[in-house]
Amino acid sequence: MANLIPVAKTVGSNKIVPTISIPYPLGNPDTSKEQQWKLRYHRVGVALDALTTDIKEQTVFTVKI
Amino acid sequence: MRLELGNFHVKDIVFGEFTSFKDGVLTINKEEALSIVKEDEDITEADLLIVKPGDEVRLVPVKEAIEPRCRVSGGPVFPGVTGELLQVGNGRTHALKECSVLVVGKHWGGFQDGLIDMSGEGAKYTYYSQLKNIVLVADTNEEFEKREQQKKNRALRWAGMRLSEYIGSCVKDLEPEEIETFDLDPVTKRSTDINNLPSMVLVLQPQSQMEESGYNDLNYGWDCNHMVPTFMHPNEVLDGAMISGSFMPCSSKWSTYDFQNFPTIKRLYKEHGKTLNFLGVIMSNLNVALEQKERSAQFVAQLAKSLGADGAIVAEEGYGNPDADFIACIVALEDAGVKTVGLTNECTGRDGASQPLVSLDEKADAIVSCGNVSELIKLPPMKTVVGELQSLARDGLSGGWEGDEKLGSSVKEDGSIIMENNAMFCGDQVVGWSTKTMKDF
Amino acid sequence: MKKAILYLNQFFGQIGGEDKADFAPVIKEGLVGPATELDKKLNNAQVTHTIICGDNFMGSNQDEAVETILGFLEDKEFDIFFAGPAFQAGRYGNACGVICKAVKEKFGVPVISSMHIENPGVEMFKKDVYIFKGGHSAAKMRKDIKTIAKFGDKLLNNENLLPAEDEGYFPRGIRHQVWLDSNTPASDRVVDMLIKKLNGETFETELPIPKADRVPIASPIKDLSKATIALVNTGGIVPVDNPDRIQSASATRWGRYDISSMERLKSGEFKTIHAGFDPAAADADPNVILPLDALRVYEKEGKIGKVHEYFYSTVGTGTTQAEAARMGKEMSEYLKEANVDGVILVST
Repeated sequence: MANLIPVAKTVGSNKIVPTISIPYPLGNPDTSKEQQWKLRYHRVGVALDALTTDIKEQTVFTVKI
Repeated sequence: MRLELGNFHVKDIVFGEFTSFKDGVLTINKEEALSIVKEDEDITEADLLIVKPGDEVRLVPVKEAIEPRCRVSGGPVFPGVTGELLQVGNGRTHALKECSVLVVGKHWGGFQDGLIDMSGEGAKYTYYSQLKNIVLVADTNEEFEKREQQKKNRALRWAGMRLSEYIGSCVKDLEPEEIETFDLDPVTKRSTDINNLPSMVLVLQPQSQMEESGYNDLNYGWDCNHMVPTFMHPNEVLDGAMISGSFMPCSSKWSTYDFQNFPTIKRLYKEHGKTLNFLGVIMSNLNVALEQKERSAQFVAQLAKSLGADGAIVAEEGYGNPDADFIACIVALEDAGVKTVGLTNECTGRDGASQPLVSLDEKADAIVSCGNVSELIKLPPMKTVVGELQSLARDGLSGGWEGDEKLGSSVKEDGSIIMENNAMFCGDQVVGWSTKTMKDF
Repeated sequence: MKKAILYLNQFFGQIGGEDKADFAPVIKEGLVGPATELDKKLNNAQVTHTIICGDNFMGSNQDEAVETILGFLEDKEFDIFFAGPAFQAGRYGNACGVICKAVKEKFGVPVISSMHIENPGVEMFKKDVYIFKGGHSAAKMRKDIKTIAKFGDKLLNNENLLPAEDEGYFPRGIRHQVWLDSNTPASDRVVDMLIKKLNGETFETELPIPKADRVPIASPIKDLSKATIALVNTGGIVPVDNPDRIQSASATRWGRYDISSMERLKSGEFKTIHAGFDPAAADADPNVILPLDALRVYEKEGKIGKVHEYFYSTVGTGTTQAEAARMGKEMSEYLKEANVDGVILVST
């Protein structure tokens, strides 16, 4: 789970789930606690599903929140 | 815009009764100068020293370097920072050359601070060992950040700017020994001869990655974190629009002196009208989120394209994740058909075996490289230390450490040191001074 | 006088041609074939032994060949090891690379070879071995031996080494800063490079883009509801007293911290020590970097089997790729031991 997708790609990560920034990957402090939680719960879920996904090449998984 | 920089070449600096410049000798009234420093009540202790190339002096923690200057037509040297906001880059500014005001913490350092050796093996690692320096060593009451690794260094940096303006003002009414003229016609009002030359822009990515204010480089006093890339006249950069911040491993940092003297801008002026049509500067920034990085790259590419640039130079003030801003910007420019050359340093590790930039792309096929931030440097003790040597080990300087399994502390009992290039004050000189490069072994 | 040992294939070791390519390794005291020339050209060492092995033997029985040769060397005193020159002979190049790498790893002495640029051994071993740019065929024997002997002498003499292109070996993926003899400042280099690029002239970048790293893709988890998932981060989340003294930048240390009794990471108990970004958000809520709270809920909901007892932490800023890879390997030992099935690595 990384914000800097180009860096994750360059170092050879195969399964990449985007996060929102460097200092706060999974919860923007300018948003409400509820919004932060929704985003974090969703993206961690995407990462868990990514672990079960069979891929053939470097893949950036899509997030909805 | 037409900027006249009136140069006064300083051959010696002494303390004396009147702050003045005569026959190459800069005399400073120490008491008066210190009273300017202490105008800010946050400054609790302050002293002034003069150090020259060859002196057996080690300075640490160094926070800032500034060229003493004055604005002949009146107004602050750093508008929006040390005084009211006004447009710079036009008119006459006087400068005391071959010298700088260096600001050194009396005790406390931080991630962004660096080291300068004025002589010996260590002198080659920083540009400032070649200058005659007026050193302000001071302490402040900024208790909130005394033990913090990241320091804004506000009181000290502003004291340095006030001091440089005070010293610079002594040449306000004198006739300079030489005048450098920087003159660019508006982009659409240039002669056919110039318009027929390949045109280019200089893209600068000053450090702006802290979201809290007080750490980033400022553009006319405005936090570079809060801007999208904009078009600027190179004279503005040379004439005090930009000041250095207080965040970034020190060898990657651009001091205010670096901005005032930006060697790459000066070289582009030399080529303008001969081999190149220098359109101007696109002032970009460095960001912490991918979307922000991409937005800046997109703005830069659009500005370059709209200006009709055939080429671009992109320079970054930093390494690590800023490499992603740097590479994204180069890729965006190349994708827009703008032939681009990058200017940066690298982080290949103490053993040299690590990937040079954290983000890479085959489109970045032309890069000038100014050094390895993590090169290990051992230096013998120095007769005199100005500041506090322990700060290198104790205070989290980017190239120092308190304990390392193999190397021990950065500061040894005999006063010798072992450090990474990271903590050499503005050591990689990406603004263009650097005579270092990187080679494969 | 220091001592050197040379490795040769069956042909240059004067055993025979292709029909002897299955020749098992031997060690001979003294000089065989090119060893004489190498001994003559080396000023700071004497060649004491020659090792000879058939190219096919090395190719087909690599482990055995290496083990035998390392066995030969165990009781020998030597300060430097040479192999080849291998010219454009692919199997010979491979053999030189394999044995040099093994000798360097076991005995820690410098290892030197020479190959033609098209020899596949160059790509395979240039990171591990000083491989000099050699000739196409044995006609260049004397020249190539002179080159490796000269460099060997330099190493043995602890002389300052020049960059790869000046010494004449293939770059090993190691980059260091050097001061240019010309003292040409970066401002001139960058503007000159741009002018050349704009005019369509050839120019030479100072940072050739290396080939991207590729990591084998792990097989997917079949049943997530039975899987143990661990959290790792490079955002420097640690207990507030940073017990492992992980560095805030250029980290070489990492730590793991027990979270088996925690529902979420609490502010005040955990914080970030990462110097590369504004710590305010993560200090206020460490879960924005280490999402234990979210993972616990997935554990309760049965989406995953369980959360691994520890989270793992280091700092990514200024940390070199080599150190990061080492720390990753060290962490994975613990993760494997605990039968962790999947890892979420949050980077900052």
